[in-house]
Amino acid sequence: MNRRNLATIAAIVDRSKNELIRVPGAAIPGVLAPTIFFLGLNGVFGNLTQLTGFGSDSYASFLVPVSVLQGAGFTGAATGVNLARDIEGGWLDRLLVSPAPRWVLLTGMVVAASLRAFIPATAVLLVAFAVGAHWPGLDGLLLTYAMVAATAAVAACYAISLALRYKTQSAAPLMQAGMLALILMTTAYAPLRLLEGWLQDVAEVNPMTPVVDAVRQGFLGTIGWTDTWHGVVALLGMLTVMAVLSLRGMRRITA
Amino acid sequence: MSGLRANLRVVGALGMRSVRQTFRRPQLIAPIVIFPTLLLAIQTGGAGSAVELPGFPPVDSFLQFMLAGAMMQSLMLAGNSGGIALAVDIEMGFTDRLFAAPISRFTIVLGRLVGTAALGLFAALWFLAIGLVFGAPVEGGVPGALVAILLTTIGAMSIGGIGSAIALRTGQASIVQGLFPLVFVVLFLSTAFFPEQLMVEPARSIAAYNPLSFVVEGIREPIVEGVDAGDTLAALAAVAAISAFSLLLSARALRHRLRTGG
Amino acid sequence: MAAIAVEGLERAFGDVRAVQGVDLRVGEGEIYGFLGPNGAGKTTTVRMLTTLLLPTGGRAEVAGHDVVREARAVRATIGVALQEAALDPLMTGRELIRLQATLQGIPKAEGRRRADSLLERVDLAGAADRRVGGYSGGMKRRLDLAAALVHEPRVLFLDEPTTGLDPVSRRTIWDEVRALNDEGTTVFLTTQYLEEADQLADNVGIIDSGRIVAEGTPDSLKAEVGNPHIRLQLEEGSAAAAEEVCARIGPLLPPVDGKTVLVEVENGAADIPRVVRALDEAGIGVGSLELVKPTLDDVFVAKTGYHLAQDGEGAGDQAEAVSA
Repeated sequence: MNRRNLATIAAIVDRSKNELIRVPGAAIPGVLAPTIFFLGLNGVFGNLTQLTGFGSDSYASFLVPVSVLQGAGFTGAATGVNLARDIEGGWLDRLLVSPAPRWVLLTGMVVAASLRAFIPATAVLLVAFAVGAHWPGLDGLLLTYAMVAATAAVAACYAISLALRYKTQSAAPLMQAGMLALILMTTAYAPLRLLEGWLQDVAEVNPMTPVVDAVRQGFLGTIGWTDTWHGVVALLGMLTVMAVLSLRGMRRITA
Repeated sequence: MSGLRANLRVVGALGMRSVRQTFRRPQLIAPIVIFPTLLLAIQTGGAGSAVELPGFPPVDSFLQFMLAGAMMQSLMLAGNSGGIALAVDIEMGFTDRLFAAPISRFTIVLGRLVGTAALGLFAALWFLAIGLVFGAPVEGGVPGALVAILLTTIGAMSIGGIGSAIALRTGQASIVQGLFPLVFVVLFLSTAFFPEQLMVEPARSIAAYNPLSFVVEGIREPIVEGVDAGDTLAALAAVAAISAFSLLLSARALRHRLRTGG
Repeated sequence: MAAIAVEGLERAFGDVRAVQGVDLRVGEGEIYGFLGPNGAGKTTTVRMLTTLLLPTGGRAEVAGHDVVREARAVRATIGVALQEAALDPLMTGRELIRLQATLQGIPKAEGRRRADSLLERVDLAGAADRRVGGYSGGMKRRLDLAAALVHEPRVLFLDEPTTGLDPVSRRTIWDEVRALNDEGTTVFLTTQYLEEADQLADNVGIIDSGRIVAEGTPDSLKAEVGNPHIRLQLEEGSAAAAEEVCARIGPLLPPVDGKTVLVEVENGAADIPRVVRALDEAGIGVGSLELVKPTLDDVFVAKTGYHLAQDGEGAGDQAEAVSA
């Protein structure tokens, strides 16, 4: 990674902030959606904690990891939608015709998504603490933000690969729904043993499940190495696959 | 009488256009039906054990309970979608063409609502079919299914009226689209997804008075137990109240647009 | 070494062959005009030469580098201003050029200096800190051009740079292109405007349906389709006599009406005095006299059978009216 590449990544990250700062209210939908879902689901399903074997007395604490990861997923999906818009408007051509390597351009977009994901995550956490979610400790908080950044990166790579494939903003629902399904088809609503048969089977193989469980640790108790590294490995695996797909898409866009 | 007949013809023609517009673009229907279906599957799978909670109403399955919520979600999204379509018509200038024609202005809104109703009908049939396939039949039989379909259809129109009012007032599809999160706020604050007695405060208290809760219960009762006159009438009254509100809003917004051109 | 060398370049999209075997060479320091109607394959060719699209056949080199195998090296030496000005409406003009400088690997301080200088050059210094979304069409094109120049490219690609601009903005762009060329930049310019190709290009390639149908200097291409002619508007009753006089100077073209005589002149404007003198000596009065030169549209018609010119552009621009 030389200085030129770093400067290019920084410039792309810098540009991405314009959408938030220069478009009035642009940050609101990305923050509102996971926050509304958190409050809504907490209000609706909060008494699930009364089920035998639920393992927690605070549904807010149980749910908050899902909502922060959901925010990361939305942010990553939005990166793909923005790229599709840039493709339609010709802006991507400007980047592609420069001598900057494709992986540098991709890294800039993904890093921007990871940083932006901190905004909805922070909003959800503040609301969650206000309604009584447990404080996860400093280590739990750091782990949460790290997982949020990595999940946003996975989501961004996924959405970018779709944007490069379809080259249209009409693919937005596919980007958003894909991430929503990935994050919710886990132990999002209840512990594994309380899920219905088919969802339990899906959650057991869904790589996002260990990520949810890893983030959840601090909010429900203490952080242990086993759950943490399962989540880390799962994220690294997903990131590798999605990064390869999106880089391939970047290289093939001229074909 | 000829005036009424003429207006009905216009509503029919604009309604057909609205229906054609809606169903010719699958990418617009998909979010209205696929998204609630996805959520239905996930919530049923994730929170399905809730039927074991003390106080949970007697149902065959959590899916049977949730079908009404999914239909409610769909009809609200259909209403929002109708508002967006009208706003697009305004942005494109198509409504100017209609305003310049010798037709009653309100037929323009009603025609749009016909399309929304068609979407609501489609959503009702879709979810009832899902219920049948996945083992959640309508306990109320054919009459029960008809009540659920009727309430979903006219419920979509009543919500569509609100969407149309906002479209007429603002003339911008992006603003109507921005109301999408509000759909979920209102749904979460009703009994769409959980019985009122098992919800957490303050959502529980709000749900008790939310008119949408009455509509949901009106759709749910025929599915989980059978047609109940009280619940059905309460749902119809709620739809009527929402419709009256949305009609008032639409009429004012329409007058404003005609007076000021924007 | 040619700045651009293309051999048998092809691009197919499924069954559609948008570019079918294009050969061309552009010398260093030349302005090459690539002229053709919409859908002829101009933009597709430019996108292949600027590495935005892979060819499906043939090869091309830009500044000595193969566009497929040495794509990054090509991108380092070219500047590109595409048909859709690829601008971000939320950025200011200054931010955009600085970003372009970063993409080109120019160190920060140098990039800022060049951005300031280029904004002055394209007369956007006053609007540099306003958002691009508020710029006029002409301003956007000038900004796009400035961004393409930030790394002082050897070869500049301009894809229909003045389409949709008013005449004043168009001339501003032309002046800038000429100035760049005077400084040694090779310019590859695609256009559907005859006058633009005629005014700017050292050499012109005319493309139609994915193939080059004619290539050469504007004058040589026009000379291929014939000599200029003089159009005489005469007083009532004198056409026959005038035809007899003019037939001795050059071949007559079919008359358009009873009061007009068209005579081909090999030497162009230099033959005007001969014609005027001969008619004067014969006592024939002339209402007006025009020298009409062949246009690139005439070249296009000769090669393809249909007109390239739109909205009266073409022949009218080439007529030099002279009142007797």
